[in-house]
Amino acid sequence: MTTTATAPPGITHEHGGTGSTAHRPRKSWAPYLFISPFYLLYVLFMLVPVGVSLWLSLTEWVGLGTPRWVGLRNYRLLATDISFHRALGNTAVFVLVAVCVVVPLALFIAQALNTRGLRVRDLWRTAYFVPIVVSPILVALVFGLIFDRQFGLANAVLRALFGTGGVDWLGDPGWARVSIALVMLWRWTGYLTVFFLAGLQNVPRELYEAAALDGAGRLRTFTTVTLPALKPVTAFVVVTSFIGAAQIFEEPYLLTGGGPAESTLSVTMFIYRAAFQRQQFGYAAAAAVVLFVLVFGLSRLFNRLLGIGRATS
Amino acid sequence: MYIPPPSPPTRRALLRGALGLGTAAALSACGGGSTTPRTSGDVSLSLWTHDPGYEEFFVKGVPEADRATDFRYHLKVTRSGPPDIVTKLLAQAVAGRGTPDLVGFEIGSFPRMLRGDISERLLHDFTPDIEAVPGLKDDLLPARTAPFSKDGRVYAFDSDTPMVVYFHRHDLFDRYGLTDSMTTWEEFAEAGARVYRDHRASLCVVSTVGSDPGQVVQSFQMLLYQRGGAFFDADGNLLLDSPEAEEVLRFLCDGLRGGFVIDVSDYYGAAMQTALKQGRVIGLPMAIWYKNYGLVPNVPEQKGKWRVRALPRFAAGGGVTAALGGTGFGVVEDKANTRAATEFLFKTWLTHDGQVRRFTETGYLPTRRSVYDDPRLGAYEDEFCGGQRLFGLYRSLLPDVPAFHQSPDQSILYDVLAGNLLRAYRGALSPRQALRQTAADFRDQAGR
Repeated sequence: MTTTATAPPGITHEHGGTGSTAHRPRKSWAPYLFISPFYLLYVLFMLVPVGVSLWLSLTEWVGLGTPRWVGLRNYRLLATDISFHRALGNTAVFVLVAVCVVVPLALFIAQALNTRGLRVRDLWRTAYFVPIVVSPILVALVFGLIFDRQFGLANAVLRALFGTGGVDWLGDPGWARVSIALVMLWRWTGYLTVFFLAGLQNVPRELYEAAALDGAGRLRTFTTVTLPALKPVTAFVVVTSFIGAAQIFEEPYLLTGGGPAESTLSVTMFIYRAAFQRQQFGYAAAAAVVLFVLVFGLSRLFNRLLGIGRATS
Repeated sequence: MYIPPPSPPTRRALLRGALGLGTAAALSACGGGSTTPRTSGDVSLSLWTHDPGYEEFFVKGVPEADRATDFRYHLKVTRSGPPDIVTKLLAQAVAGRGTPDLVGFEIGSFPRMLRGDISERLLHDFTPDIEAVPGLKDDLLPARTAPFSKDGRVYAFDSDTPMVVYFHRHDLFDRYGLTDSMTTWEEFAEAGARVYRDHRASLCVVSTVGSDPGQVVQSFQMLLYQRGGAFFDADGNLLLDSPEAEEVLRFLCDGLRGGFVIDVSDYYGAAMQTALKQGRVIGLPMAIWYKNYGLVPNVPEQKGKWRVRALPRFAAGGGVTAALGGTGFGVVEDKANTRAATEFLFKTWLTHDGQVRRFTETGYLPTRRSVYDDPRLGAYEDEFCGGQRLFGLYRSLLPDVPAFHQSPDQSILYDVLAGNLLRAYRGALSPRQALRQTAADFRDQAGR
């Protein structure tokens, strides 16, 4: 037996109805229920924290009790805080290292690993990738030993090779930045190499053959075939490296603690320090908002410049 | 049969639902445990500490506390890093549940509790309890209640009287002709320069570990407080920029140039171990706990070769010791177990026998003056230090232990001071400039 539901008088189906209510599509709870987990989680874990951070940045709060509304005072203080300016400057240096040194080096290594006939390619690939999976604590411990001024490996090698080795790697402001940059280089280059390698392996071989027939040399082939073909990968790597470096925390926190004299203090470390060492949560939130705006704005700029997400003809 | 389709959710219905969810969440978050104070019987105390030594001490103290109070104690211990303990405590306090009853604050983390009214709101004020115990107020060393006090109220009891003494290699001092007749730092510096020239060995250490401003500051702090200087007064005002501070910093900088002082990246790690093993460091001023945390783990083979003595004096004045480190145990206020936790602390941590036991089990010195006269401690011989009987020395140093007042802005001072100390050590700034710069940087950052 078949049961057919018949609409009672006054209710018409959307097709063929004439009244204004007749055109309204039939609604139910089901679609809302299906999409609700995403929106619920999005609101709880994205919008609420962002909104609370924004509100907190307009208050003074020690971490307990009721936050006191101070308006834009935290932002005004940030504008005159030498420490925050130093953190911005240091972070800019780390971003430059990531984008202008780490990314090109990763591309160079990927190109080398993509060479035809390279033996034990997987071993090389693993060797370059390993640093990113090593615990940052261990990295700090090992590099702390390497960069020790009195008894470290780096100075011992310099002494053995050049007869001089008094570099204060972690104690001198300039060298401390160099040390952080070297650790970034060591940690991140291999990781980014994997992306470039994947991109290189997808470049059609015919393009290289055509370039060879046209008499292009290695450099010319690289600039006219490899680089354009890698543009989407490069764009992704540049933007993610920029975002990662702009929020750098582990390397300076573990290796130098932001010192000496705040020479390696990053903005995220500044935020952490204000919140969890000084109990200045409102001030920390204001710095976090500034960092968010800068990273978001510059990422959008990169996206536009590099054409990320734009359809290629 | 016709089954009508479910009606669509109206905006009002959605809002009502969201409001209901929010209210439920808020109510469940705000619902704390009962705060009716327990006065006797079984009580389960939640203890947070960073050090397994303290955990062991308190667990062993349960029978003692059971006998001395109307409670039968059970301890639930949580261990965490010193800064994390404060962070988690505040997070739980905001949540309104899950706070511990008894908390151990490492001295460097406690200044966070001094910010705003955190300590007043969260911690039990022991001042009336101290006054209720006959003789206790006068017996407790004020130098060790000062770091955990605010506005005259005591919020935690220290684990130690961490006097700064001079550790030295007895055998090498003899070999290099360094005699006990040297009584001032100036004499040490003169002899130290000769020892460095002849043997490449140093008699004093400064830490230059960039990742730990606290350690960099400690090297300077010990001699500054010995000389009579200080970072903060009892009201938290900065006192750093003083003639004593300049004298001490100049002394260290000159020592570094002459080799009397060596810079080592940190006091506990591989660099220090190498320096100790190679005989590059044959003496250093440090708190007494350094024997257990620095010397014994790094150079166990040098057992019997080390000795302890009072710090040499500065010719211009000051005392013969300072204090460095400590951990204060406090009780969280307005909980059902507040009274039980307070009594537990008083009957384990602060009794005469408890303080003797604390020394024998953890090596931390008593914080009650009278305990230093206990014959059990007087008879104690330190094997690592060649069987030295050290309590006579500790007793003689007691009057010179300076008070160490903390400020909520202490971490700011440490950050800026550490950087400027390193610059002074390298010669990039004069001692005067370094201190002035520190004071200026501090004032710029404090109170933001």
